[in-house]
Amino acid sequence: MLQLPRAPRPIHLRLMVCTPPTPRALRLAFQQTPPPNALAECSRVLKKSGQMKLLHREKEPASVFEGNRKNVLLSGKMQGGLGSVGTLSHAYVQHPPLRCDIPDIRGIFYDDANKFLIAPTADRILYWKITPSTPAGPPNSDPINDGPVLSVRYSLDQKAIGIQRSNHEVEFRNRETGETCNKKWRVDSETLLGFFWTDCPTYDVIFVKTSGLDLLAYEPQSNALRLVDSKKFNVSWYLYTHESRLIVLASGMQCTLFTGYQWGCQIAKVEMTVSKSEANSKPVLAADDVHIVTVYGRIYCLQLDRVSMTLNMYRFYRDAVVHQGTLPTYSSRIAVSAVDNIIMVHQIDAKVVILYDIFMDSYAPISAPLPLLVRRLPSNNRQATQSSDNQSSAYGGTLYGEGWNFLNPDLVCDVENGLLWKLHLDLEAIAASTSDAPSVLEFLQRRKSDLSMVKTLSLAIVRTVILERRPITMVAKAMDVVLDSYSRLMKMGSDLPGVRRTSEQNLQSGVQPVVNPDSSSGDGNRPVQSNSGVEHGIANHTANVDRTLLNTSSDSDDITNASGGANQEMSGLQASDVAERKPLVVGKDSRPLASGTSMQHGTHVANVAVSPSEMFESVFVLVEDEMMGDPAYLVSIIMEFLRSVSKAGLKAPPNLYVMTTTLLAHSNRYPEIMLFVSNKILEPSKELAMQLMELGRQNSPTRKLGVDMLRERGLHQDYVSALLQDGYYLEALRYARKYKVITVPPALFLEEAVATNSAKNLAAVLSFFTEFVPTFKTTSDYARYRHILSEMI
Amino acid sequence: MGLSSGDGAQLCVFDLRRGQQEGQELDKILFFHPADCPILLQLSVIGLCEGIITFSRIFSPDDDCEVIESENHSHVFYQAEADIWMVLVVEKNKDSELTWRCGALQGILKEVHSLFTMFYGPIRTLLDRQPSAELARGHLRTFVTDYLSDFSAGKKLQLPTFRDCLKERGTVQMLTISREVALEIQSLTTVLGSCLGNVMCQSLVLFGDLLVSTTLPPDDTLNLYTYAVLRLTPHALSSYANSWSYLRKGTSVHSVPTSSSSNGTASVERPLQREKLYKGKDGFVTADFATSEIRGAVPSAPILWFRQAEDRMHLCVYQHKNITILLLTPASSLINGDEGITHVKRHLLEHASQNIVTVEQKLSRGWGGENAYHVGGYRYLLVDPDRKVSRASPPGKVTTLSKDSLLSLNRQREEIDLEKSRAGRSDSCHDKDFEICIRAKNNSWVIAKVTRGRELYMALEKGGETLLYASTAVEKFSNRYCEGAFSTD
Repeated sequence: MLQLPRAPRPIHLRLMVCTPPTPRALRLAFQQTPPPNALAECSRVLKKSGQMKLLHREKEPASVFEGNRKNVLLSGKMQGGLGSVGTLSHAYVQHPPLRCDIPDIRGIFYDDANKFLIAPTADRILYWKITPSTPAGPPNSDPINDGPVLSVRYSLDQKAIGIQRSNHEVEFRNRETGETCNKKWRVDSETLLGFFWTDCPTYDVIFVKTSGLDLLAYEPQSNALRLVDSKKFNVSWYLYTHESRLIVLASGMQCTLFTGYQWGCQIAKVEMTVSKSEANSKPVLAADDVHIVTVYGRIYCLQLDRVSMTLNMYRFYRDAVVHQGTLPTYSSRIAVSAVDNIIMVHQIDAKVVILYDIFMDSYAPISAPLPLLVRRLPSNNRQATQSSDNQSSAYGGTLYGEGWNFLNPDLVCDVENGLLWKLHLDLEAIAASTSDAPSVLEFLQRRKSDLSMVKTLSLAIVRTVILERRPITMVAKAMDVVLDSYSRLMKMGSDLPGVRRTSEQNLQSGVQPVVNPDSSSGDGNRPVQSNSGVEHGIANHTANVDRTLLNTSSDSDDITNASGGANQEMSGLQASDVAERKPLVVGKDSRPLASGTSMQHGTHVANVAVSPSEMFESVFVLVEDEMMGDPAYLVSIIMEFLRSVSKAGLKAPPNLYVMTTTLLAHSNRYPEIMLFVSNKILEPSKELAMQLMELGRQNSPTRKLGVDMLRERGLHQDYVSALLQDGYYLEALRYARKYKVITVPPALFLEEAVATNSAKNLAAVLSFFTEFVPTFKTTSDYARYRHILSEMI
Repeated sequence: MGLSSGDGAQLCVFDLRRGQQEGQELDKILFFHPADCPILLQLSVIGLCEGIITFSRIFSPDDDCEVIESENHSHVFYQAEADIWMVLVVEKNKDSELTWRCGALQGILKEVHSLFTMFYGPIRTLLDRQPSAELARGHLRTFVTDYLSDFSAGKKLQLPTFRDCLKERGTVQMLTISREVALEIQSLTTVLGSCLGNVMCQSLVLFGDLLVSTTLPPDDTLNLYTYAVLRLTPHALSSYANSWSYLRKGTSVHSVPTSSSSNGTASVERPLQREKLYKGKDGFVTADFATSEIRGAVPSAPILWFRQAEDRMHLCVYQHKNITILLLTPASSLINGDEGITHVKRHLLEHASQNIVTVEQKLSRGWGGENAYHVGGYRYLLVDPDRKVSRASPPGKVTTLSKDSLLSLNRQREEIDLEKSRAGRSDSCHDKDFEICIRAKNNSWVIAKVTRGRELYMALEKGGETLLYASTAVEKFSNRYCEGAFSTD
């Protein structure tokens, strides 16, 4: 097969690597292509609008690590990221990229439905599967006939290939038989703008022409196309993402009249006008200026207004398009990506990227405009950081260079150099850049990628705010966030069916139920990538939550609801896509998914969310030593933690109660121990009882509390031993008889009786044992104490 | 003894280290109630007491004389501080209505003394500071008189009788709350504790007349709680408003020469004076002392002395509906007196208001009314001396008991008191268990049970015929309401 050429390339290092502080980083970033005063402008605007949520990057990491290096080191990985890398960035592309710079390829195409990167040569089509991670090996290939290639799209079951040969012709090739069939249109009247495969039950292919849409069914057996429906419409250009299934058709003189179609089979009755930029001039809106993004299962359309340098954001509902707000831009060219439900707005001229988390109704950026970074794999991060220059030398192009194409949702293809990058969020950098711990935690808990990092970071943040002795209310809020998300996941895990039912009720819309016969086979692919399966789960739940939020807040049906379960076919192939697909499935035919994810759910919850006991082990245990100087603060924090735990309906680990009592006793607050035990703030357990008895050496009422707790918990043997220790041997004996405790040896009771020097009591104890323990008379104890008794008398 | 009949009771405080020279006996007397009692009579009462104290010491050097029962009077003794004695003299009568329990009367003496100490510090310290004793006498006069005004019925003192045998003075009544609410309150306590920044503030939270939370040790909690229930809770504040004119008449308080500024102990003038306490618009309960004092010399918040805390504390009282919050700030960390208090108050209003409102709502919602702790068929009193906590049947339910039951119970409690002090003397580190069941004249069961230090007293009027019934009833009660603390092993 084909070999990837590994010829050394000339090195053009133009990477922006800089050390803090921020202004310099930005200055460097702008040195490449200088937009005059763009940087000053952007920071000024941000400052003025008060939108900067995350600040002082250079300060925060230091405070994280100072002082408590022993305990607070987030992890080796994080250390590398925060401590030693001097570069500032909140997003990065990972080195090495996928190389697709094979000689004599005729262009590069991306099939976003299958996540294929496609490079046709004269007689073959080479393609790489991009999910779940960028592959390292050589591409797959399919033979094709010679001829021009305008675009290539594989069918969703990957049994056929559609190749657009010209503006009027598309060739369909059955991959098994090699048969081809051509679909042609008349040259004079209309032009083919594009085509794509769809998972709609009645149609398989949609052609977008200047005169409207053609919806066709493809029959693989006969390798024939059958026209099912067509919609007449004037189209100037169109946009489509498989992720959203949304087709946006632009028409009108200025191309400002948008019509949205979803599924091809149903018209989302939407007409929207895009704001005009100037009074007299009539600029024509280009396809480049409009972007569809799908985050949190919602579909947004971002439209760049070149004149006012703003990005207008619209949200697509089924029955309406609502303008949501405007985002500032600092570049005449922008690109938009969606990574893990974060919208990345690339300011191409300024070579910086701004991140937005549109979860609530806040359109403030979550980061300052910072450049993108090239980063090595985390495993050899440390070495990589030292030689990051060499790193980027491996990359022959320029970040945000001319050849950069942004592929939906999170890929970048450098066409000039034949490289494919995947965009990543630098969660730790984002987390480290803000001091508002609760909101960072909320942000982190919403993330689906890099779950172990989310967990590590969340724990580290909670630890840090405690060690920094931030106000208790703030720490409490932070812990609330973590526990809330845990309990939400637990709840979702236990009663998913309930969720399904409610969402079904919400969705009584006119979408035809879809049962795709291939869905189960498509699902069969999934176990191969169990990781992504895990991700599906979480996406599923949050998407649900989102939607319930939405449905209450807006009357409009969310457009994604309409999507039904039609797209199971491709499920095995698209990890991130599935995330958006999930809510639809929940609403509709969710059988295959339910079976696929329910098993994984338990482990998923365990992996992702931070449980109370993990909080205990990774936060409280670790900070305890450091906080011994100020136990009162830590006790208050624990109280707030317990409050969060109980509010979320969870259970706290018994060892936390043990720790609390120890802390209280440490500062001589025995009365409060008593109060907390009596009002059950400290929930009874054997561990706690033992600790109370231990602490009771200094404070006898506390010991009593412990002993009582043993009795209340029905820990008979321990209770009897405790009574014996305190010298209440007759009481112990009575109790032992009542609860048939036979494990405590008689000698202990007898010894206590001897110690009180009371012949009467000793005789009583002796006679008790002779009566109730049949073999007692034969033991040496009997003879011994008998003798002692006779001497006493 | 020549006490005029109908005079009811006398209460005196005297110091045996004073007035030991003949002719200076009067110097011993620090306080005498009633104040209009002739000096000679006062001297004779104190002389008798002193004689008996000295006499009984010959036999029992370690334990104080507790009571003298004569034909017509009972003298109840309490050595409040070394050589400072408080004696309550009550008249005996054929009328069985006036049956007392010595322990209950001693409880009054203990209570008034510990409250006094909380506000003014130990009497001995006052005497040492000012040997003429003017200061101590002045404070005692106003304070004890104000205290006794609660007991006054007409001209007489109405002291607790056998009818109060299901009450325990010197204990705190707690509100039982769910864990969730407890955590909510704890979070409020945290906010309250941080009112002063770095220095921890202590606090007590009451709901109605019941304690909800405390950060203080039991002794101090008890004193503050007692004070709050006497004067500060909404109930206490409103009861004054109702019987205002009556009390005015009943308490003839002599105008006191204000000596606070002269010796530098700036402290609250008369913390138990009902008329001066009111809840301000801002929710803080304050005392109105502005009349003739120079502002600034007297901080508007009382300074308290605590046994277990080293520092003296400022008390700040905030009230929201049924919630009363007693916030204590160490006096040493409030540098500029009033200003510091204002700061604390502002902090409380700013940061804790929301918590207070939520806590109040939750508590009100969960509050079962005054009969919340009634257990059908039982009239009971539960005491935990370690925690100084008690719980009892609501007073309204106790009054339904017949006199016979109450008298038996009173008698029984007296026995238990004796037994306890005896056991305490012989082996102080081990709790001794007792159980007494009495079949009273009216066929009711009167039961007392002491287990591992905790005490349970109850009267069952509609009990069965057998002892077995009585003990089953106790068992049931213990398992359901005391977590099995009194269950027979």
